[in-house]
Amino acid sequence: MSEVQRRKYSQEERTAIFDGEFMPHIDSMYNFAFRLTFDEDDAKDLVQDTYMKAFRFTQSFEQGTNAKAWLFRILKNSFINEYRKKSKKPATVDYQEVEAFYNSDDVDYQSTSDLRAESVKDMLGDEISNALNALAVDFRTVIILADLEGFSYEEMAKILDIPIGTVRSRLHRARNLLKDKLKGYAQSMGYGREEVED
Amino acid sequence: MPNLWDTAGKKWRTKRSAMENNDASSGERKLQCSDVSKCFELLEHILDGELVEGGAKMLQEKLDRCQPCFEHFHLEQAIREVLKTKCTKQPLPDKLAESIRQMIQDAR
Repeated sequence: MSEVQRRKYSQEERTAIFDGEFMPHIDSMYNFAFRLTFDEDDAKDLVQDTYMKAFRFTQSFEQGTNAKAWLFRILKNSFINEYRKKSKKPATVDYQEVEAFYNSDDVDYQSTSDLRAESVKDMLGDEISNALNALAVDFRTVIILADLEGFSYEEMAKILDIPIGTVRSRLHRARNLLKDKLKGYAQSMGYGREEVED
Repeated sequence: MPNLWDTAGKKWRTKRSAMENNDASSGERKLQCSDVSKCFELLEHILDGELVEGGAKMLQEKLDRCQPCFEHFHLEQAIREVLKTKCTKQPLPDKLAESIRQMIQDAR
């Protein structure tokens, strides 16, 4: 797409949109990039690329729509197209495989029913972060978007280019996987089901 | 007893404790949920702010009457809360914003 094909914003307007609507999201963008790449330099490059693209394609941004969701979509696409391949992290578990395994509600319920709200509340930030980071990237992403960034199902569907139904089910699986990880921490901290004190 | 609605207010909490006071013997929650997967899905949607029609009422009934739903709801709520409040934020590298502005300047 060429940036001259739809000139709906003047140069001043373009600058105003960039500074006023795009730049304020840089902290969230960097956090998202870091949680995708686990590498400071990669995260920096990814955020820079995203902002370059955002600037080049400002003409296709509709003012009054959600700039943060628009930016997150660009970042996620850049990640998939460019960074995922050369990521320094070893390949994560194949998403389809994990999803197939967890596509049973029995597994869902039994595997998490002995994790208690009280032990979750007592966990440290690092433990929560590590549990999240241990998830495969597709699962990690939906939790970041929903819980850390507060996007709605509809916004997530747009960011990820998937139907809302898929957002729902992927988020549900992601939460169950996360609970499994948290359960591991809870057990290692010595929170049995019986001996929890309030 | 943990806080019932950390965020959503007193009305519900008052209602609950009133119920518990008046109704201690008959207000027992059932220990088995007959439709775990559907119920949990509904609870999760409500927690995600995707309110289904009549959801508030349904939620209230489930939490009053069903122990697995009650526990699941509070676990899910706790997880969302810790993710939101405790997840370590990666500080923005010093010169990133500046270098992006510079790149845009140069591109103009």
